[in-house]
Amino acid sequence: MSQFTHKRVNRRSVLKGAAATGLGLGVASSVYLPTAFAAQEKRQVLAWVTHGEPDLTTLHNIVDAFNEQSETTEVTLEQVQGSETDSAKLITAVRGGTGPDAYMLDRFVVAERAASGLLQDLTDPLTNAGFDPDLTATYLPFAAEEASWQGTPYALPFDTDTRGLFVNLDMIEEIGEDPAKFTLEADPLTWDELKEIMAKLNVEDGGNFTRFGFVPWHEQGHAYTYGFSFGATFVDRAACAVTPDEPAMAAAMDWIKAYSDEFGAAKMQAAVFNPEGSPPTENVFLTNRIGAMITGDWMIATIAKYKPELNYGIAKLPVPEAGMQSTTWAGGWSWVIPYGAREVDGAGEFLAYMSGEPGQRVYTKDTAHLPTVAALMGDPDIFDEVHAKYAEVLLPLSTNRPPLPVGGKYWDELQAAFQAIYLGTSEVGPALESARKNTQDVLDQYCPIE
Amino acid sequence: MSTTQAAFAAPPRRSKWSITRGERKNIFIGLAFISPWIFGFLVFLIYPIIYSFQLSFTRYGGILPPEPIGWANYTRMWNDEVFWIAMRATFTYAALAVPIGVVMAMAIAIAMDQPMREIPLYRTVLFLPSVLPLFATSFVFMVLLNPNTGIVNQILRSIGLNPPNWFGDPNWANFSIVLMAQMGAGQVALIFLAGLRGIPPHLYESAQLDGASWAQRFRNITLPLMTPIILYDLIIGISGGIQVFTQAYIITDGGPARSTTYLVFYLYNNAFKYSMQMGYASALGVVIFLLTLVLAGITFLTSKKWVTYDLT
Repeated sequence: MSQFTHKRVNRRSVLKGAAATGLGLGVASSVYLPTAFAAQEKRQVLAWVTHGEPDLTTLHNIVDAFNEQSETTEVTLEQVQGSETDSAKLITAVRGGTGPDAYMLDRFVVAERAASGLLQDLTDPLTNAGFDPDLTATYLPFAAEEASWQGTPYALPFDTDTRGLFVNLDMIEEIGEDPAKFTLEADPLTWDELKEIMAKLNVEDGGNFTRFGFVPWHEQGHAYTYGFSFGATFVDRAACAVTPDEPAMAAAMDWIKAYSDEFGAAKMQAAVFNPEGSPPTENVFLTNRIGAMITGDWMIATIAKYKPELNYGIAKLPVPEAGMQSTTWAGGWSWVIPYGAREVDGAGEFLAYMSGEPGQRVYTKDTAHLPTVAALMGDPDIFDEVHAKYAEVLLPLSTNRPPLPVGGKYWDELQAAFQAIYLGTSEVGPALESARKNTQDVLDQYCPIE
Repeated sequence: MSTTQAAFAAPPRRSKWSITRGERKNIFIGLAFISPWIFGFLVFLIYPIIYSFQLSFTRYGGILPPEPIGWANYTRMWNDEVFWIAMRATFTYAALAVPIGVVMAMAIAIAMDQPMREIPLYRTVLFLPSVLPLFATSFVFMVLLNPNTGIVNQILRSIGLNPPNWFGDPNWANFSIVLMAQMGAGQVALIFLAGLRGIPPHLYESAQLDGASWAQRFRNITLPLMTPIILYDLIIGISGGIQVFTQAYIITDGGPARSTTYLVFYLYNNAFKYSMQMGYASALGVVIFLLTLVLAGITFLTSKKWVTYDLT
């Protein structure tokens, strides 16, 4: 006979059990519920970033600080797949109704994403969070411009970066040149002067360069970098036209082509090649394979971390002709509220903190990026000496890529033309004309633009 | 009518499509068994194809409602220089990768078919690279083919050759990806191996008795009897070749100088990098689908002339 037949469950025992359970739950809830309700009362905001380490840790720290001080909003930060212009994860999640409430987006594509309806107008959520939606009141002008589309704020600028000429001073001394030419205070060299100096560093062995002075397209030597330096404007807004074929850009590309023809693109390519995902210690600048490169301020922190003994200098980008003003360009990231966000006001409060003074102060100090909050520029508490000087000299010389609804496409087209020119697969004129036509075909869908 | 006439009357004629109750029940049970597959096929394959076809006639960014624009995406594609560059890059890749893949798979299958005691070990070693995800293989090849420190170039230099900048030279980048694709040859080689083992041994014995050399036996027995499997591999290979994407996405970003901007890579950029181009990306998807269909069809139709199903 089964044991269960002996112990019949009668009504009294059920009532006793229920009473005991109820009492237990009551005691437990008296302890737990106040905190549980407090947590529920907070608006739950999901924020996505595509950044990896070391920036990710700092972003988490800022989120933790925000959660601690906010009585109304709790943010959860998640790292997701993506890159500067690749928003596949965001687009598909938003389309599927599972997108985040806040997203860290490359500022340069804000106009493009806003034009496709992916981003929300920030005017109301910022106003509700007590933050001035007039971005120019808080941020550097170029950053405010990039974060807006058709006069509406779609993003809050976060960090920025700008490009300079980083030079190995030991190598410069080795060839008998004056290191004082490669400081932020010095007048900029011309591109031809740089070429002549750097050529002295080239070491060829068995038909290949084992050391090369300066490869123009390495790191941040992009089509935009040379175009801006030679005075290109890239767009005629009134005519709703992209202008990569303008004379200034053609002159820049002529210089690149002449450089490439003189030294041989293939050999220069091989000299600076580093596979994706290589550790920073294998950077060709740190391994003394090149004498100089155009790169951004993040390199200051990289050198300090991985090769602090490196004797290097930073100079303004060279100019086409002596006496001209050096020009460089700035990029950076921003925070947006995607379409379909469930906690818009909570996200607005978070954005105002993260992209406002509190968040940018921590981010600048910990990651050695530059802030976009105008009030933080030159703050001695958040910059080291090198970084402060870098920002002070180069940011005023910086421009930005034009905010266009075809920003990603234009970048790809310019880079394709640039590569075709320096690799010798196309002449300057046809390459730039292709970039113009291919981009304009898409831009025409948006005309007119403000 | 007499009883004799009735007895010899023909049974009622069944139409071609009529089925008995038992047959109907069997069909119902069969369909019930494969219904999960049917559901998946309709929802995840047929519906997206139809939806892509619809979207290809719109201007769409994924969020705002699609805006009908007729054939504009297709006429734009006809005049889009990058589309034709992508076509050339894709077809160059497929034209190299598919035949080289067949040769590689055949060579590996023959190696796997050798009568040796330790052959299971060799089979495992030959098959192993094809198990690796393409994502991982890409990173391995970036290191192997590094123009400065990669082992391939070091070996080539040591024998006095001037090695190329594999992924950095527009003349070599596409071919480097073709080479990479051969890492997957082990998968096809297994099918080839099954084919090789299905060839009746008495054919080889007879040929050997008649004094046929290895090359003659391969040309007159192995190759003809392997053609059905080669046909299968060609159709699968062409389909895969036209959809090449991952290597360009991870290693080359479509460069240098657009030499690896493949059709699917260009489709992806339009869908997820460029604003409001999902409709154009869908049109590209439709064209890729039709291209694959046509090429597979042509391969299949011409197969009657070169595929041998029986040596007799």
